[in-house]
Amino acid sequence: MSLKYFTIEERLNANAWDVDVHRPHIKIVDPEQCRKCEKKPCTFMCPAKCYVQQGDYVVLSTEACVECGTCRVVCPHGNIDWNYPRSGMGIWYRFT
Amino acid sequence: MKFDVVIVGAGPAGLAAAYKLASAGFKVVVLERGREPGAKELYGGRIYAYWLDKYLPEFRKDAPVDRWVRRERVSFLTEDKALTIETAVVEKEKTSFVVPLVSFVSWMAKLAQNAGAKIVTETPVDILVKDEKGRITGVQSGPDVLQADYVVDAEGVNRLLLERAGIVKKLEPELVAVGVKEVLKFENKKTLEERLGLGEDEGLAWAIAGYPTEYLPGGGFIYTYKDALALGVVVYMRNWEKLKTPVYDLAEKLRLHPYMAPLVKGASLQEYGGHMTPVAGINMAPPRFYYDGLLIAGDAAGFLLHTGVLIRGVDFAVASGVLAAEAIKEARSPSAEDLAVYEKKLRSSFILPQLEKFRKADRLLSDESLFRDLALLSTEAAYSYFNIDENHRTLFEAVREASKKTSISLVKLMINMIKMVRNL
Repeated sequence: MSLKYFTIEERLNANAWDVDVHRPHIKIVDPEQCRKCEKKPCTFMCPAKCYVQQGDYVVLSTEACVECGTCRVVCPHGNIDWNYPRSGMGIWYRFT
Repeated sequence: MKFDVVIVGAGPAGLAAAYKLASAGFKVVVLERGREPGAKELYGGRIYAYWLDKYLPEFRKDAPVDRWVRRERVSFLTEDKALTIETAVVEKEKTSFVVPLVSFVSWMAKLAQNAGAKIVTETPVDILVKDEKGRITGVQSGPDVLQADYVVDAEGVNRLLLERAGIVKKLEPELVAVGVKEVLKFENKKTLEERLGLGEDEGLAWAIAGYPTEYLPGGGFIYTYKDALALGVVVYMRNWEKLKTPVYDLAEKLRLHPYMAPLVKGASLQEYGGHMTPVAGINMAPPRFYYDGLLIAGDAAGFLLHTGVLIRGVDFAVASGVLAAEAIKEARSPSAEDLAVYEKKLRSSFILPQLEKFRKADRLLSDESLFRDLALLSTEAAYSYFNIDENHRTLFEAVREASKKTSISLVKLMINMIKMVRNL
């Protein structure tokens, strides 16, 4: 039995969102710190793959964030400024 | 505007408190950051009914239930083998049920609203407001401050407000797990029932150890909604370095496992989500559950019992919300001294005694060898026993052979099993 594997991007597309393009709710405090960070757990632990390694740096895109807070907990350097999206924006679960 | 009580979070804990307080005539507002109650909430899929009967008996009348669980399945799963144990009841049992959390909390929200509570959505709370003496006197959302005599913090596991108020430290990876979940919808409910071998409206709860977490602490789960499956994986955060698959692919990997794929074939992905969940139980509780003007309930207080296969969050959340409401009703003032009655209630309820009872579960479940050894050895031994070649093995021979093949010591496994049966 082989089923099609869906990439995380494809899976996230099933969700309802209301993206706050004007104000990302999560920010990397100091990109240099990420460059120096050896293991970069955020790139591995985020359920929505918001953190992607590019070269030695970490690029964050919050559009598909599911607002779980994992990145903040696993970041060994406290390098993530984490807030909830404003006024109802972000993920909208309807079936879970 | 001034309310008697401001409640942060329209989840099971916050709404239970709101319902009970509004019913008693308090002027209550619930602040919820999502578009609707449940919009930001995610859980495995099952709610235990026993304590709801005591704390929120109204649910029997008209709360949404997709399926009452009549089958409990536990699997040890490896790359190429599985060993499954199932317990089933033929009679209609009504002790736990599966339902989307968003459906359940929207029912609770209506209950609270009908009792007179106000629910304001799309309103994330930024901080708990304190007066000069450090008493909590309200909450702030953006530029707006809302004053209240009492604040109930039911903000959930990601307890930023408690952290900002200096009540708890930042969450450590040791205290939480991250869960990912796919909701897979079938053409109709009959297809789901046929695939999983279920009778009409029969519910299944399925815990899967080993493969889903790459043998690290945590596990996979499947719960049956009406015409959809919740399929997910929870992995303890402290072990992340040993994971080979990124968390965002864990649920998908389980779905595609040859043991699972035939069951979910043709089902379409309805939703994908992720959430943190407490795993340390009482060990992640704040120093106190009551402060001047403030009570803490639900996940934010660490009121979630995790014993490996059994995970209970919603019944603890609802009960703690109800007890917070009772405490406020009985308190003569919002002083911590008067609100200490909340802790007394938690102690004389099931909440703290049961969390205390399983205090050691967290440490045991964090042992990296526990599920690995059990999953690898049990599947291998079962395979050995059922596989007839020139040798027809006794059970003991099968186990010994599996032990050799997997290099897992039987003595160590026995010790772990004794610990397990005592503590989980």
